[in-house]
Amino acid sequence: MKTERRFERGDAVSKALKEGSSHFTFVPEKRRLLLKDLLNVTLGVLFVIAAWWVIAEMIIYTKGALFPTPPETFDAFKNALYGANINGETIFSHTGASLYRWGLGYIIALVLGLAIGLFFGTMPRLHETGMVPVYIIQMIPGLAWVPIAMLIFGLGETSTIFIILVTALPPIVINTAGGIREVPPIYTRVAQMSGRDRWALFSKVLLPGAALSIINGMRVGLANGWRVLIAAEMVVGVSVGLGATIYSSRFSLDFYTAFVCIIVICIIGLAIEKLLFVWLENTLRNRLGLDRED
Amino acid sequence: MLATLRGVSKVFTNPRTGKGLVALNDVTLEVERGEFLCLIGPSGCGKSTTLNLLAGFEFPTVGEAAFKEAPIKAPSPERGVVFQEPSLFPWMTVLQNVTFSLRGTEDRAMRYLEMVGLSDFAQARPNELSGGMKQRVAIARALAMDPDILLMDEPFGSLDEQTRRKLDNEVLDLWKKEGKTVVFVTHSIDEALILGTRVVLMSASPGRINKEWKIDAPWPRDPSSPRMVKLKEEMIRGLQVCSCAKSAPQVSFINVDLEV
Ligand SMILES: Nc1ncnc2c1ncn2[C@@H]1O[C@H](COP(=O)(O)OP(=O)(O)O)[C@@H](O)[C@H]1O
Ligand SMILES: [Mg+2]
Repeated sequence: MKTERRFERGDAVSKALKEGSSHFTFVPEKRRLLLKDLLNVTLGVLFVIAAWWVIAEMIIYTKGALFPTPPETFDAFKNALYGANINGETIFSHTGASLYRWGLGYIIALVLGLAIGLFFGTMPRLHETGMVPVYIIQMIPGLAWVPIAMLIFGLGETSTIFIILVTALPPIVINTAGGIREVPPIYTRVAQMSGRDRWALFSKVLLPGAALSIINGMRVGLANGWRVLIAAEMVVGVSVGLGATIYSSRFSLDFYTAFVCIIVICIIGLAIEKLLFVWLENTLRNRLGLDRED
Repeated sequence: MLATLRGVSKVFTNPRTGKGLVALNDVTLEVERGEFLCLIGPSGCGKSTTLNLLAGFEFPTVGEAAFKEAPIKAPSPERGVVFQEPSLFPWMTVLQNVTFSLRGTEDRAMRYLEMVGLSDFAQARPNELSGGMKQRVAIARALAMDPDILLMDEPFGSLDEQTRRKLDNEVLDLWKKEGKTVVFVTHSIDEALILGTRVVLMSASPGRINKEWKIDAPWPRDPSSPRMVKLKEEMIRGLQVCSCAKSAPQVSFINVDLEV
């Protein structure tokens, strides 16, 4: 490609206007845009903290009750990071235990969800029937799985992982099957007239055509699994885990710790959804040649 | 006869709404080896349906669609299709698109990309190409399949006039060079006149074949020559007549396939 010097945006615009050219390039302003993003995020977070603080003070004032305010919570957060004892464990082992359960439940959901979704996506005759159970499972709220998991698996990790799995599964199945079915029929026709077999149709046409939808299902599934953490750890039977700690705060009355755990859950959830998946989707768009829709 | 539709009617029914549509009524069309057949008619008169029947994407409700005397049962690389809508796979390079078919070897692919003037873009992605370039690649893809017949459904319908003229001439050159048979759908009388060795006029509601003209004038054709002007007037009259006069459908159904 050309190795011409690239100008600042303002210079590049005036140069293009002067020379009458229709396309021009300029030095990308990555740093400025990053700073802008950071500023937006910071302002948003500050707004949440301000609202939280106001509500906390109001509750303390009207009810005379204990309600963690931001400064108190941040103190607790700092202590937790320095390794303070929370129910006999550090915040790191609580986080680690939750991440492990979540990861395991999610990976099983992913494998099952992709298999089921790809199966029903490519079997139009079975699709409608096959999706009914998935929609039913999707409608069951996270907490409702608690008694079901207890009845099937009793107290323990298995129940926890089951609840995470079963809430992560439906969006993966639905988006995978839906993505396959929504691949434009014209692509199927091209594959048919090319004389290629069903495997080529599947692997070279349907799968790449559905990839964005599949990734979206994976993202929603992951978020679902993380959000159900507290319900899932109600049945874990031990007191290790972010969800378990929050749940047990109603006995221990250690609400500061509960708030710390809520913050950790938010940070991890947002990081995975906003950083990992946004990156994944952009990369995929690029690889699939979909970055300029027409 | 390379391809034939014999007494073909095509009916679409929607069991949910209880509505049915006769898209084609008793159409008989014979495509001769080596000809450049243009199908013209108002939109909705069943041109695409006719092409889809020949391609094997759709099947007749009544009558028979045959290719080389054998009934058409499925799409095949023997019948290459160029679609109106963008049909290149965005996730493949231009070259991968053209080599996608069973018979699309890299040699053949590059040869046809060169023929449509796009060998420099072999490694590009479709989203880096203009609309006209994409259709050129689609043509190269169809040719690389080494088909016996090229079915083109308003291939340049969404392009500007200038680009369309240019591509029309390229298709004509390819047709002469390759000796393929072409069925070319268009709703432009002008396009049909400068391209076809035969022009078949279809009319709507229900879709049927109305009239046809053999054109043995050499190329390049001058659309303003007296003979072409006269033909064009005839065709315009043909278009007007058939959109007003509604003859009664005359088909008896034996079995009707149901499609949503
Ligand atoms: N798969 C289908 N289902 C229902 N109706 C269809 C289908 N394909 C075409 N039609 C209808 O058949 C008629 C002819 O369509 P088409 O062959 O696409 O016409 P043309 O290509 O001449 O514009 C139209 O009224 C269209 O709506
Ligand atoms: Mg059409």
